[in-house]
Amino acid sequence: MKRETFVILGIVAGLILWLLLAGDYAIARSNRAMIYALLALSFSLLAGRLGWFSLCQTTLAGVSGYVIAILGAQQGLPYAVVIPAAILTSVAFAAAFGVLTMRAKAVSFLMLTLALGQMVWALSFQWVGLTGGYNGISGVRLPMVLGFNLNDPRIFYVMLATCTVLIFLGVHRLYRSRFGLLLLGIQENEQRMRALGHPVYLARFTAFVLAGAIAGVAGVFLVYDMGIMSPSPLSLSQAVLVLTAAVLGGYRTIWGPALGAVILISLQTGVAQYTDRHMMVIGLVLALCILLMPRGLSEFPWTSLLRGRKASTAST
Amino acid sequence: MKKLTTIAIGSASALAIASFVTHADDNTLRVGVIGPTSGVFSFFGEQQRMGVELAMEEIGDQVAGYDLEVTFYDSQGDPEVTVDRLRAMDSRDDVDIVVGPVLGSTGLAGLEWAGGSGMPTVISYSAPEDITMRDRVDNVVRAGWTGAQPMFAFGEYVAEELGHEDIVMVGQDYSFPYDQLGGFMRGFCAAGGNSVERIWHPLDTADYSSILATLPDGDAVMYNGAGSDGIAFFQQYHDFGIDQRMPLIGGSNFFAVGDLPEMGEQAKGGVSALQYAEGLETDNFIAFRDAFWDMHGEDTMPLAPAEHGYVALKMAVNAVEEAESLDREPVIAALRDTEMEDAPRGPFHLDEYGNPVQNIYINEVKEVDGRLVNVPIETYEEVSQFGPYDPEEYMASDSYSRDFPPDDCSDDFYQQ
Repeated sequence: MKRETFVILGIVAGLILWLLLAGDYAIARSNRAMIYALLALSFSLLAGRLGWFSLCQTTLAGVSGYVIAILGAQQGLPYAVVIPAAILTSVAFAAAFGVLTMRAKAVSFLMLTLALGQMVWALSFQWVGLTGGYNGISGVRLPMVLGFNLNDPRIFYVMLATCTVLIFLGVHRLYRSRFGLLLLGIQENEQRMRALGHPVYLARFTAFVLAGAIAGVAGVFLVYDMGIMSPSPLSLSQAVLVLTAAVLGGYRTIWGPALGAVILISLQTGVAQYTDRHMMVIGLVLALCILLMPRGLSEFPWTSLLRGRKASTAST
Repeated sequence: MKKLTTIAIGSASALAIASFVTHADDNTLRVGVIGPTSGVFSFFGEQQRMGVELAMEEIGDQVAGYDLEVTFYDSQGDPEVTVDRLRAMDSRDDVDIVVGPVLGSTGLAGLEWAGGSGMPTVISYSAPEDITMRDRVDNVVRAGWTGAQPMFAFGEYVAEELGHEDIVMVGQDYSFPYDQLGGFMRGFCAAGGNSVERIWHPLDTADYSSILATLPDGDAVMYNGAGSDGIAFFQQYHDFGIDQRMPLIGGSNFFAVGDLPEMGEQAKGGVSALQYAEGLETDNFIAFRDAFWDMHGEDTMPLAPAEHGYVALKMAVNAVEEAESLDREPVIAALRDTEMEDAPRGPFHLDEYGNPVQNIYINEVKEVDGRLVNVPIETYEEVSQFGPYDPEEYMASDSYSRDFPPDDCSDDFYQQ
C-alpha cells in the first residue's frame, strides 16, 4: 500500500501547510468545514454503503453537544469524563434509533430519521430545565493544557484535523474490509446476502451505530467550536446542509463528503462576504452541480474530460 | 489516488481565496453591525439596520479623526452563524467595535464569544438578563433592555392603577416571556396583586380554542407573547367574546405597531409597557422619527429595535470620541460610562453592570393621525434592570423559568 501512504502524507502535509499559511478566520472556517466533513462522512457511511438516507446524523451530533454542555459547562465534571460520556450518549441514541429503523426501507427510513430527529429537536427547545431552551447553554470551553489554550483556533485545528484524518482513514479501511463489502452487498441484494448466511440486520445495526459514533465525535468538536449549545445545530436545515454536502461531493466515495463540506463552507464564506442573499447563489451553484454531476464531484469522470475523451459514466 | 491530492490542494486554495484577508488601515474606525437581515426574524434585523443607517448619516464619515466604516453582517437569527460572523469581524475584517446582536439566543452566543475575544460590544435589542447580570463581562454593554425591566413597572401599574388582583396569563413557551412574566410578578405582587395563573403554549400555535374554552376566571388576561401568535390569540379572544368578561392586556411586544392594523379598532385601549413608545411627543423623539421617515419613508414606523440600533452606534462612536483612540481598554471604559441625555426614547445612563437605567412607559393603543400607535399614559423614571431591588440579592435568586417565580403572591419569595 505504498500509494496510500503517499496520499496520506500528502494530505497531512497539505493540512500543515494550510495551518502555517492561512489567516485566523480561514482557520476558523476550516475547523467548521472539518466538522461538517465528519458529519457528511457519518451520513455517507449509511447513504453510500446501505442506500439509507438519514436526516438524524446532526441530531446525534447535537445530543453529544448537549451532554458536553450539561455535564461540562453546567455540572463542571472533568473533561476525561465528559467527552467519553458525550460520545457514548450518541452511540446509545444511535442504538435506540437503530433498533427502530433497522427494518425500514429507503423512504420509510428517511421519514423515520426525520421524525426522530425532529422529536429530539423539539425536546431540546421545550425541555428548558435541562437544555436552556431557545437560549441554550453557554460557557462551553476547553481547558488550558500545559500552557496551551485549547480554544485557540489553531490548536483546535490541530486536534480536529488529527481526529478527522484518523476517522476518514478508519472509514476508508472499513469500506475495503469484508464488513464494508457486506454492506454494499446488502444494498445490492439483501435477499442473497441473507441466503448466504450473513447477519443482515446486525450488519446494518452496526453500521448505524458506527455512523452515530462519528456524529458524536463531530458533535463534541462542534460544541467546543461554538462555545454555546442551542437547538440550532439540531434543526432540519442543518440536516439538509449535511445531506447537501454529501450529495455534492459524492457520498459513495471516501473523499466525497470532505470535498462537499469544504466546497459548501467555502461558498458560504466567500459569497456571504458580498451579499445577504448568499443562499440564492449557493442554491444555484448546487442545482447546476447536481444537474451536471448527479453522482457528485468525486465521481465525475474528470480524467476523461481532461484527456478529451468522451465522458463515460463511472461505475461503483 | 492522485486525484485526491489534486482535489485537496484545489479546495484548499479555494478556501484561501474565499477567506481573503483585508488589510488593517489604522486610521479607520470599523464598526460591525450584526442582526438577522434574513430569515423569520428579519423584521428586527431590518429595523436595526435602518436605525443604524440613520445614525451613520447624522455622524458623517469622520469620528475623532478616524474614518468611520460601518459594515452589516447577517446573523440569520442563528447562534452558530452569529459566532461565525463575529469571528469574521475580529480576525478577517479587523472590526473595532461590534453593534448587535438583536435576538435572545444570538445575544447570548455573542456574549459568549465576546467574553473570549475581548471585543468592545454594544448589544442592541437582545434582552436576556444574564448578558448584563450573572454572566456579564467587562467589554459587553447594552443599549436596550432586559426582558423583565419594563415589566416591574407594568405589574405595579396593573395592580395599583387598574386594580386587578388576579391575572390569567397566556404566553409563548420560551425564555423571553418567562423573563417578562418574572418582572411583572415582582412588581405586581409588591403592589398588592394576588395571583397569576399561567398557561404556556408552544410557539407557532394557530388555534387557541382549547385554551380559551377553559380559561379560568380572573380580573384580566395578559397575553405574554407577540407576532403571528399574538394576532391569532387577539382575534380568537374577541371571537369568543371573552373581552366582554375580562380586559386583555399585553406583554411588551403584544401591541407592536406592525400588528395593530391587523388587530384593528378593537386593539384601542390595550395597555402594555416598554422603554420605548412610538407615540412619544418629546422633541428628541419627534426629531428622530421625522429624520427616520425622511430616510426610509413614512410607511415604516421606527420601533424599539431601530432606536436601539441607532443609539448603539452613537454609543460606540461617542466612546471612541471620549477615548480618542481605538485601543480596547479606553474604549470599553468610555462605553461603560455612557450617558445619553438626548436619546430618542428619553435620557438614560448605564448602571455599573452595563445596562441602561431608563424611562419605562405604560403605553395605551390610541389612534393618532389615522394610525394606531402606542401612546405613553404613564412614565416611570430611572428604572434599572433590577427594578427597585438590590442587585446582589436579585442576582442571587434563580433565573426566571416556566414556573418561577411562584404563582401566588403570598409566597415567601415575595416577602423579602
